[in-house]
Amino acid sequence: MKKSSKVLAVGMVAALGLAACGSDDDGGDETETTEAAGEETESTEAMEEETESTEAMEDEGEEAATTEAAEGDESGETASGDICEVTDVGGVDDKGFNQIAFEGAQQAAADLGVEAKVLESASDADYATNIQSFIEQDCALIVTVGFLLGDATAEAATNNPDQQFAIIDFGYEEPLDNVLTLNFSMAEPSFVAGYLAAGMTETGTVATYGGINIPPVTVFMDGFVKGVEYYNTEKGTDVTALGWDGSDGTFAGNFENLDDGKNIASSFADEGADVIFPVAGPVGLGSSAYAAENEGIRIIGVDSDLVESNSSESQVYLTSVLKKIDEAVIAAANQVIGEGTPGGEYLGTLENEGTGLAPYHEQEGDVPDELKTEVEDLIAALIAGDVTVDG
Amino acid sequence: MSEGIGLKNTGHGPGTDAYLGMVDSVTRTPDEIKRSRNLGIAYLIGAVITVAVFVQGTGGTATFNLDNDASFGIGAIPLAWICAVSLAVLGGVQISRGTANFQSALLGVAAVLFIFTLMAWAAAGQSFSLTGTLHDALKASTPLVFGALGGILCERSGIINIAIEGFLLAGAFTSAVVGSVTNLWIGMIAAMIVSSLLALLLAWLAIRFLVDQVIVGFAINFFVLGLTSFVDARVLTSNPEYNGVPTLAEWKIPLLSDIPIIGPVLFEQTIYVYLGLALVALVTWALFSTKWGLQTRAVGEHPKAAGTLGVNVLRRRYVNLAVAGAITGFGGSWWTADVGRFNENITNGRGFIALAVVLVGRHHPVGALCAALLFGFSDALALKFSFLSTSIPSEFLELAPFLVTLIVVASVGRGHRVPAALGQPYEQQ
Repeated sequence: MKKSSKVLAVGMVAALGLAACGSDDDGGDETETTEAAGEETESTEAMEEETESTEAMEDEGEEAATTEAAEGDESGETASGDICEVTDVGGVDDKGFNQIAFEGAQQAAADLGVEAKVLESASDADYATNIQSFIEQDCALIVTVGFLLGDATAEAATNNPDQQFAIIDFGYEEPLDNVLTLNFSMAEPSFVAGYLAAGMTETGTVATYGGINIPPVTVFMDGFVKGVEYYNTEKGTDVTALGWDGSDGTFAGNFENLDDGKNIASSFADEGADVIFPVAGPVGLGSSAYAAENEGIRIIGVDSDLVESNSSESQVYLTSVLKKIDEAVIAAANQVIGEGTPGGEYLGTLENEGTGLAPYHEQEGDVPDELKTEVEDLIAALIAGDVTVDG
Repeated sequence: MSEGIGLKNTGHGPGTDAYLGMVDSVTRTPDEIKRSRNLGIAYLIGAVITVAVFVQGTGGTATFNLDNDASFGIGAIPLAWICAVSLAVLGGVQISRGTANFQSALLGVAAVLFIFTLMAWAAAGQSFSLTGTLHDALKASTPLVFGALGGILCERSGIINIAIEGFLLAGAFTSAVVGSVTNLWIGMIAAMIVSSLLALLLAWLAIRFLVDQVIVGFAINFFVLGLTSFVDARVLTSNPEYNGVPTLAEWKIPLLSDIPIIGPVLFEQTIYVYLGLALVALVTWALFSTKWGLQTRAVGEHPKAAGTLGVNVLRRRYVNLAVAGAITGFGGSWWTADVGRFNENITNGRGFIALAVVLVGRHHPVGALCAALLFGFSDALALKFSFLSTSIPSEFLELAPFLVTLIVVASVGRGHRVPAALGQPYEQQ
């Protein structure tokens, strides 16, 4: 009797899990229509992460329902074939992470002597279809780009235990044997950026702001402010960091509106800030526009090297805090195809160069050599563990 | 065309009637007495808030920076006590016997005192730039002014305009795309044309087919949002050459910009601010001092009477909507001039705030300017507060400007009479 009630309970949980997945798909579709266009990748990326935890929980339910299918997994086996990328709705030429991921896939494919393929998703409904069509082809590794593909990837992975996957910016509560998750530790490079900003300011005030007050955003801001504080303790200076006080700060309230970014930069400049670090995706481009109009304001880019992706205002960028998605994809390809080790978790850090700072480019001459050396030493110290973000 | 003498007697528009009613304070209507008492209660609530929140603040001197490194400091706690006592006294007088002709002036003084107390509380022991805040407030209010002027012209003509958001968004999109291919100035003109056409579509559906004007307005909003978002995602993202215009720098007016405090606030702005202010004056003059204005208001108040006296009601409405669309579309190009590109839903609901601004401003251009400035000021001040270490959560600061608008609409919007024929279809004989 006890046993049967247990079975019943498991069955009900499984049913709930499936129901959750079903309703979640619907929800996803709705988001798609309202968001249909901007698809500025950095923004979706950050928002994706926001709901990560809840989604991961739903995945758990799904897994419970399909454990039997997963049991047939033969993990040691190495597939031979291509590196196949499924983009999110941003498309492969989005100048953001879909594009960077594909550049990584092409690089890895060239190194391994295979081909890189890509399928673009026009809507949420395409994720599962695109993944399925790659499963039917000869793909050694399917790279799914971004949080939006989390559910579709999990489902495809459990149904096809022999197919290897890698997913960017997604963590499963219960890791799947054939999915390699690619995530990044952003506090350290932001810390270095804060140190650099404190070293560069002439007014003694620097600033940061975020898109929305969520952990994937504030981890940058927190690291930045702690980097400024570290500079102050090391040098005995009194540089002020505006926009984040350790628990709350300045936020645009969205990841889209450039005019918010411009207003915030202008308001920061009123308070004397001359180095600004926006962690708000495209909103930050508004701050770049402000800096381009007003002498003496430097911007620190985020995610990718903005000197390259926003070349019309390249002169305003001191550096960028990099999230090297291409490196992660290369590492994933090397691990899965090269070494034949499936699944696991990749964490991009300063040490494995999955994160870092972009070159100074046009401001190379503005940065004192001494400060450059200090920044390099700080990166080394962070890698060695001699210095930590939390002191 | 015969100029109806009867029409001239209507004199001031619907919005000004309310003001005129208040002039005679000797014989107060029960409604006025009630309103006067409510204001007194509002003063007392303000006094309570001041004692409960601002007096309990951390204390210390709040420093307000002006331009040229000048600044002044205020003791936060003493100011809070002054504010609390003043509001309490004012509230008592207002409830017991009213403040007669000084009512508006006293309300203004009390509001300024309360805002300063709030700012001093937030900035106690810290500092922020007051001129910068005022400058940003004026800047943030500019697109609202254009949107509201468009709204006023529509509604004064008797057509409900829910589509300000759509007109602004269309203007932003058009100026970005056309501006990228040609230059910003041509982009501005294109924005005016496109929004003007949208306004004519609204007029055509409302006048020719008698479709519910609110529904048409919403349809236009969603149509513009959907279309611009789609083109942005499918075309502009992969072809950035169609979405990049050099931004418009601020134009310092010589001499005037050297005036302390006022200079950097008023005269170091983009031409949008100057044009917006000029347009407020122009529309005010045109609405209340010209034949066109008289006819327009007549068409919005009593189209049948206007028609009987020879005014071509429908043509007046079509023309006014086209002009309103052009003004709003120009306001939409403000975003392109500001940041140099378009992104999905860049107007972010500002058109709906402009709609509130029309109501708060009682369908009067000057009133709308004041309401827009209030919103802009809340916006700029909330941003400054997020820099200061206050106990207010950032999420609340982000919605503060909208909350202020809501409160003001709720308190001022009451008792305001909209044009009598607003939203009513008119069939010309």
